[in-house]
Amino acid sequence: MSRREQKSQTRSLILQAALRLYARTGIGATRSSEVADEAGCAHGTVFLHFRSQEELLAAVIEDFGMRIAARLHELATRGAGLRSVLEAHLQGLAENEDFYARLVSESPTLPRQARITLTMIQSTISQHFEEALAAMSTAGPRPALHLMFNTWIGLIHHYVVNRDSFAPGQSVLLQKGPELLDFYVGLIGHAAGRGES
Amino acid sequence: MKQCIACGMPMERPSDFAMADPSKDYCVHCARPDGSMQSYDEKAASMAAFLTKTQGFDPSAALASAKAMMARLPAWQGRA
Repeated sequence: MSRREQKSQTRSLILQAALRLYARTGIGATRSSEVADEAGCAHGTVFLHFRSQEELLAAVIEDFGMRIAARLHELATRGAGLRSVLEAHLQGLAENEDFYARLVSESPTLPRQARITLTMIQSTISQHFEEALAAMSTAGPRPALHLMFNTWIGLIHHYVVNRDSFAPGQSVLLQKGPELLDFYVGLIGHAAGRGES
Repeated sequence: MKQCIACGMPMERPSDFAMADPSKDYCVHCARPDGSMQSYDEKAASMAAFLTKTQGFDPSAALASAKAMMARLPAWQGRA
């Protein structure tokens, strides 16, 4: 393995370790020394790859979010339709639901760099929604993109934040996702003047 | 994979690059019609408009977020 590959692998291990700890103990409660222990590297190694804890957190959010965005982009550009894009969104979030729940719950208190990164990810996902929506034939004018996206995100976040009440001990996105998806697609269909299946 | 130096967008296909030219370091969304890269103010305004369109942000909050995001990108080091 080349030095560059080794460096990339260590960076990836640190990102994965940090995500697991954020999910397990909370973002604000996680220390960089704990990330190093979880990743199996020296504490100083974390700071060879990330200048600060804030930069590490932003990188974890970006890595997590861009993986989801890339899937949605791929689906939207090949005309997979809104339902498939939304399903992929739910699936991507469900794969790291514990982390996402922490991210949503702690968002107002996160460092600015992390919040900006999350903002850009959400806008990128919203953009892919629009690409999928453009493929739908509609009878009338469509509601503004930001309202459609925020309605979807607001719905998901309510269930994720209160998941102990909606799906105790389980993934709320896997448990309730199909119901939310059906409801939302129907809502969008009505708002756009037709029912989408 | 290259990332746009001006907005951070991953660039994979030739159509992602300015003028469909993979040797460029900036993307199609950061290029002016003549192919040159947008200025700092032009990019901040277009990124803010993107945040407003996609998430409904207040214009001033969107501009502040756009500039904070740009501060991390290679094209704008030392600007914000």
